[in-house]
Amino acid sequence: MRTVFGFGALILSLALFGAGPALAQESDQESVANPDAKCVKCHSRGLKKKLEDGTTMSLKVDVDTFATSVHQVIGCTGCHRDVAKGKHPSREPIASARAYSLKHNQTCSQCHAAKSRDYEDSIHAQLVAAGSDEAPLCSDCHSAHAIQPQQTYQPTTGEPCSNCHSDIFTAYEGSVHGYAYIQGDWFRGAGVRAPICADCHSAHDISAVASVGFLVDTCMSCHDEARAAHEQWLPNAPMHLQSVGCAACHSPDAGLRVNLQFWDQAAEAPIGPGEKYAELREELATIADSDDELSSLELWRLIRLTRSLGGSESDIVLLGRLEVAHGMDAHRLQDSSQATRACENCHESESRAFETVTVSITRPDGRRERFDADSAVLSSVISVDSISGFYAPGGTRIKLLDYLLVLAALGGLAVPVAHIALGKIVRRRSKKH
Amino acid sequence: MNNPEPIHEHIDQRGKGVYLHPLPVRIWHWLNALGFILLILTGLQIRYVDLFRVIDFELAVQLHNWIGIAIVANWFLWFFYYMTSDKISNYLPDFNVSSFFKRYFEQAQYYSYGIFVGEKRPHDVQPHDKFNPMQKLTYQFIMLITVPVTFFSGLMMWKTDYFEGLIEMVGGIRVVNTIHVIMFILFVFFIFLHAYMGMLGAKWSSHYKEMITGYEEPHD
Repeated sequence: MRTVFGFGALILSLALFGAGPALAQESDQESVANPDAKCVKCHSRGLKKKLEDGTTMSLKVDVDTFATSVHQVIGCTGCHRDVAKGKHPSREPIASARAYSLKHNQTCSQCHAAKSRDYEDSIHAQLVAAGSDEAPLCSDCHSAHAIQPQQTYQPTTGEPCSNCHSDIFTAYEGSVHGYAYIQGDWFRGAGVRAPICADCHSAHDISAVASVGFLVDTCMSCHDEARAAHEQWLPNAPMHLQSVGCAACHSPDAGLRVNLQFWDQAAEAPIGPGEKYAELREELATIADSDDELSSLELWRLIRLTRSLGGSESDIVLLGRLEVAHGMDAHRLQDSSQATRACENCHESESRAFETVTVSITRPDGRRERFDADSAVLSSVISVDSISGFYAPGGTRIKLLDYLLVLAALGGLAVPVAHIALGKIVRRRSKKH
Repeated sequence: MNNPEPIHEHIDQRGKGVYLHPLPVRIWHWLNALGFILLILTGLQIRYVDLFRVIDFELAVQLHNWIGIAIVANWFLWFFYYMTSDKISNYLPDFNVSSFFKRYFEQAQYYSYGIFVGEKRPHDVQPHDKFNPMQKLTYQFIMLITVPVTFFSGLMMWKTDYFEGLIEMVGGIRVVNTIHVIMFILFVFFIFLHAYMGMLGAKWSSHYKEMITGYEEPHD
C-alpha cells in the first residue's frame, strides 16, 4: 500500500515538476499575446481618479473601441511609457483633465514628429501657449483611445472641427462647397474634390485666418482657372484679385469692410510683432482706448511714425484690402453665378463696401489686431500719401477733387460770360467817348 | 502748299486767306476734340456712377480705355507730323523771354479791350507762326505736358499689373489716379475756354471755318 502511495506521489511530483515550466510558459505566452491584459484588467472597470481641481477623471477605457483603433498595435504602453512595474498606480496628483492632456500632448510627437511640428506652428498651439483652455490639443481632435485613420476625418458632420466651430460649419453646410460635399457631388473637373475644413485650413498647421494673402492662394490652389476666367470680363483683374478677397464677391450677402494693414513692402512682411514697432502699438492702443475712430490725420501721422520706426531699409505702406467683415461669411461661398458682378456695387461713392474701415497690425501669433477707422479716410486728400496703394475709381474718390472739378467747370463758363460782359461795357464806354 | 500772291494782307485772288491748317492738322484736331469730349463724358460716368447712369460703369471703362488709346495714337500722329514738317516752328518756344512776354501782354490787352473797339490784332498770323503768344504758351503746355501726363497716368491705370513698378515709383495707384483726375479737371476748364476763344475771330464762326477749310477767314 505504501509502495503504491509512494509511487503515486512520485508520479504526481514528476508531473507537477514537468508541468511547472509548461504552466509558466503558457502564462508567458498569454502575456506576450496580450500585453495590455494587465492594463485592461483594471481600466475596463469604472475606475476614477479625483483631480486637484475637484473634478473626477474617469480612468475607464473602452477596450473594444481601442481594439479597433489604429493604436491597437502599439498597445497601452506605446503611449503610456511612464507606467512602470511597481510604480503604478501613481500617486502623483493631477491638477486637471486639461493639465493631464497637456502633459501627454508631447507623447504624440515621439512618433508623429512632423505633424507635431506643424501643430506647433498653428494658431491652436499659439492659443494653448497663451493659456487657452479651449484651444484643442492632439487628443481633443483625435481622441485619446479611439484614434481612427485619416480618411474618417472628413465626415459630413464636420467633426472634429465642428465640435468647436459649430456655427462656422453650419454656415459652410449652406455654401456651394458644403452642399457639394454633403450631397456627395465631390468632384468637379479633373477630380478636384469639394473642400471641407482641413482642405482650406490644413489639418495641423492651421494659420490665423487673417494672415495676409493666405486665403487667396488657398482658393487658387483648386480654382487655378480663376485668374484667367476673371481676366475675360473684369478690368484690371490682377489688381482686383490682389485687393479684394474672394469671399467679398462670392458671398454676395456678406458684410464687407476695408482693412488697411500696416505692411513693410521691402521685407514683404506685416508690421506688428517685435519691439521695433512698440510705439506704434502703444499709439493705436491709446486711440482704441478713447473709443474714437482713426481719422485721416491720425492715420497719416501713424504712417509717418511707422516709417521712422522702420528705418531706411523698410518701405512701410498701408496695404488695403476689401474683405468680408465676419469670418462666418467666408464660409458662405455661393455658386459663381451668384457672385457680385456689377461694378457699381463698389465703384460708387455710397457703396456699402467702404462703410466700414479698420486698420490692423499683426500680433506675434499671426492674428490681426484691428482698430476702427473713420470711413472718410478712404476719400480724404490726406490719404493720397497714407493709403496710396488702395483706390477704387468712383468708390473712394477724393472729395476735394470733386469741388475742384465744379470750380473748373464754373470757371470755364464764367470766363466767356465775364468776357462778353466786359465787351458790352467797353463798347458802351467807347461809344460815349 | 503754295499760296497765290496776296492782293490784300492775307487775302488772295480767290478771296481766300492764308492756308494755315494743313489737312493732317485739321484731321488730328477734330479727332482730338471728339476724343477728348468722349473721354470727359465717359470719365464723368466712371467717377460719378452714383449721381447719374447714362451707361454702365463697365461699358464706360471699356469706352474710356479704347478712346484713350485712340487719342494716344492721335497724339503721336500730331507729334510725328510736326517733327517732320517745317511747321514745327509753331510749337517751338521763343527764347527771347522778355520779347515773348511783352507780346503776351499785348495780346492779353487786345483780348480784354482792343478786340471790342476794333483795334488791329497785334499778332500777324502766318502758316509758320499761326499762334499768338497766349495761344502758343497754352498749346505748348497742353500738348507737351498735360496731354502726355494724362496719357501715361491713364495707361498705368488701364493695366496696373503691367505698370506695377512705375506705379510704385510714382507713389501708388491713388497718386496716379489723383494726377489723372487733376489733368481731367484742367481739360474741363480748357475745353470751355478753347471753344469760346475759337469764337473770337472776325465772326464767331471764323476760326471754326478755318479749322474745317484750312484757310484763314478774311478780317475786316
